[in-house]
Amino acid sequence: MSSRSLAPFIAVFQNELRFNLKRVAPYALMLIFSANAWLWWSKGPAVSRGWAVNSDFYIVWLFCGFSFMTMPLFIALMMGDPVIRDFRLGIDPLIFSKPVSRAEYLLGKFCGNFLVLSCCQFCFALTVLLLQGFSTRGMVVLSPRLLPYVQHFLFFIVITSLALGALCFTVGTLTRNVKLVYGFVLFSYFLYIAWQKTIKGWPLRWRLALDPLLFNTVAEGWQGRSADWLNQLSMGYDGAMILNRVLMCCVALLCLSVLYFRFRKSASEESKTGPQLQTLGLTTQAEWLDRGTESPSRAPRAETASTIRTKLPRVTLVTEGLRACAEQFVAALGVEFRLLRAERSLIVVAPLVLLMCILELAAFRLVPEGSYSATYASRTAEGLLLFLFGIAVFYAGETMHRDRETRIEPLLWSTPAPNFVLLLSKLAATLLLSCSLVTLAFVMAVCVQLAQGHWPLEISIYLKTCIVILLPSVIFMIAASVSLNVLLRDKYLAYAVSLALGGTVYYLSGLGLNSWLYNPVLHRLWTPADLTGGGNLTRILVHRLYCLALSTLLVALALLFHERGSNKEFRAQGRLSERGWSALFALASVLIALVTGFVVMRAG
Amino acid sequence: MLEIRELKKTYASGVQALRGIDLKVSAGVFGLLGPNGAGKTTLMKILATLLEPDSGEVAVGGVDFIKRKPAARRMLGYLPQEFGLYPTLTAEQTLAYFARLKGVREAAERARLIDALLERVNLSQARRQAVGGFSGGMRQRLGIAQALIGHPRLIIVDEPTAGLDPEERNRFHNLLSEIASEETVVLLSTHIVSDVSTLCGMMAIIRRGEIIAFCTPQAALAELAHVVWETIVAREEVAAIRARAQVISTQLYEGRVRVRVFSRDGQPGAGFSPAAPTLEDYYLNLVSNTEHVH
Repeated sequence: MSSRSLAPFIAVFQNELRFNLKRVAPYALMLIFSANAWLWWSKGPAVSRGWAVNSDFYIVWLFCGFSFMTMPLFIALMMGDPVIRDFRLGIDPLIFSKPVSRAEYLLGKFCGNFLVLSCCQFCFALTVLLLQGFSTRGMVVLSPRLLPYVQHFLFFIVITSLALGALCFTVGTLTRNVKLVYGFVLFSYFLYIAWQKTIKGWPLRWRLALDPLLFNTVAEGWQGRSADWLNQLSMGYDGAMILNRVLMCCVALLCLSVLYFRFRKSASEESKTGPQLQTLGLTTQAEWLDRGTESPSRAPRAETASTIRTKLPRVTLVTEGLRACAEQFVAALGVEFRLLRAERSLIVVAPLVLLMCILELAAFRLVPEGSYSATYASRTAEGLLLFLFGIAVFYAGETMHRDRETRIEPLLWSTPAPNFVLLLSKLAATLLLSCSLVTLAFVMAVCVQLAQGHWPLEISIYLKTCIVILLPSVIFMIAASVSLNVLLRDKYLAYAVSLALGGTVYYLSGLGLNSWLYNPVLHRLWTPADLTGGGNLTRILVHRLYCLALSTLLVALALLFHERGSNKEFRAQGRLSERGWSALFALASVLIALVTGFVVMRAG
Repeated sequence: MLEIRELKKTYASGVQALRGIDLKVSAGVFGLLGPNGAGKTTLMKILATLLEPDSGEVAVGGVDFIKRKPAARRMLGYLPQEFGLYPTLTAEQTLAYFARLKGVREAAERARLIDALLERVNLSQARRQAVGGFSGGMRQRLGIAQALIGHPRLIIVDEPTAGLDPEERNRFHNLLSEIASEETVVLLSTHIVSDVSTLCGMMAIIRRGEIIAFCTPQAALAELAHVVWETIVAREEVAAIRARAQVISTQLYEGRVRVRVFSRDGQPGAGFSPAAPTLEDYYLNLVSNTEHVH
């Protein structure tokens, strides 16, 4: 290929690098991955099991764990929307009117973003590489090594990312919907687990060859071996593993080929950006390109005298007082919920919730803990937690940034509706959506219990699980997401931080480091017996108060730091201003959180 | 009456958008002209309570717009330069939403208001159509309809006719003229000079964050009486004319170039004839000079 024909590819590639250098997301990812590496180095199983932290075996263990737990969602973050971004920004006509081919454009976009992703992922490998120079008590460290880190990084992480990245890139580019990419990635976790269960009984070679993340490399064959043996093990790549990597490369190639043949340069018909016409004005005015689709509009009626002179009726404006605020809140909530319900991803999420319910409850033999209803309710609640976390992160993020993305924000912010109306309506709408899905799931659980003939049916247990366990957790997660979106101001950064925090709590609870204070969602801190008169119910109830106090604090902080300008003073015209009330609520919730937190810890 | 005193705003990047704006605007349509980057949109955003100024005061009918934002927003109608709407809502639902946020609580009152607004902006037939399917002109009309909710005392329209075809622009002009009243200030920010000459009783020109002119369009034209000259020359001659005279504008005309120049000292050269000044001449001459006129 001549250098001239490479020029458009290089231009697109370089532009992607330049663009990502100015984004916050790659730096946030580097930080998250480094923190992840430090967490697994310091709190991983190596110390307790005597594995050397820089042995071949442990390096591969870390990288495979990273591929499964941490990578997929962040791959979606980086690879899902590079092309969507161009259409969203409206720069696509300027690019496609230049002599750049589909292949050059798509490859430039893919390679540029993939390189950035790989650099971010390399921070994980680099951190564990550097940490081999340090050690804590009881940690086994072999002599410093370099090559295994680079080698295994390329083999286990980069090639896996290539396949997954190509999938996300293809799905995002063809559907022009980044939410579908996230939905696909979340669903892929379940798919992967189901796939692993399917190939469980197959010979090891086949399992290695057909395991997309090569998790079976460390999951099988090394059990029962001593720590010394594992520390001396040199991890080579056998034929099955190399075949696996070749298959992953083929998957990437296939995805990109499908994308090449199906990609269309015209904007999606369902592009949310309305037509933006700029016509010629006077010489002083810039001439813009006519873009977007002009939908057929009804021909305007000829203006008549009655049209021009239609008098606008005088109306009474009431914006002060509790009733007026309630009215504004109800209006805002109605619109926010209507817009959330119109989200296309719900078409995937709602059936997924039902499917999860059925799989959790009907596919496995249930052993009642206390009572069948308690077992069903608790299994449903635990299974729902991940979905509810996803809804809190993604849907709350969408509602928080929708007004800015649709550019209706200036119109809304110039109305007399106070900040708390605009903010709380978004929180309440997301909560309503979550509660709808919870109701759906619990109704399904009741149906499954009845279908299985597991009597008696105790609706009160289901209600207790909903109201005591799930509802405060949902409120907390949504409040945290709303607060992060306000404080960080960037949707994708808020996603990344939320996922990182949630993942950290999940990981620490998996290790048994499960303090009631930093686990507001009560993950793995309650059992069905607690709901049927067990001794922990009081502690749980106090903890729920603690959780609600934290939620109030987060919402109060969001109001205090809201970008929409309001009066800076805490008092206005002799009364507390909105800012003053937010500060008061923040203070009160801190006090309540301190008291309830203290009680919870004492009860333990 | 809209009063602006010593309004200043500097962005975090160091750009001084407003360097001390002073304006007193009475009821009617007031035009704010200025080139791109002059500070018009910054000023509009501060008046619309969306941006905090560094210093200065803004008051409408005695209400402080900086310190009493909730009260200010009750009196305000705002149509920004670029805005969006929720595409899945209908025109009726959109106006109902804004009316409720504005404080129109009674359902019957709200329904009457929405009917009148849709009639006023000629969108009655499209009231149940989703906004996502609207043309640019229809969206702009819906935008002005939401700005008219509640009989605001100050209506801010930022570049409202950019992107509209001549018919839509004419309709918009009629609408703006009608809504300006004894009690309402309509602040029209634009760089389309003909909009100001058509609609505005008073105008100001802003350049680099400062007001460089504040007068009526008639006074502006009177300022340029007998000082605007015009000639049509070949393209090659334009550079020579630029070197010896203050060129206001050049325009292609039948393969040659029509050149308009500013000259207080009589005929600037052979071939020039006196021309009737336009507001565009006044504007172009002013923004390319440092001369201030009040």
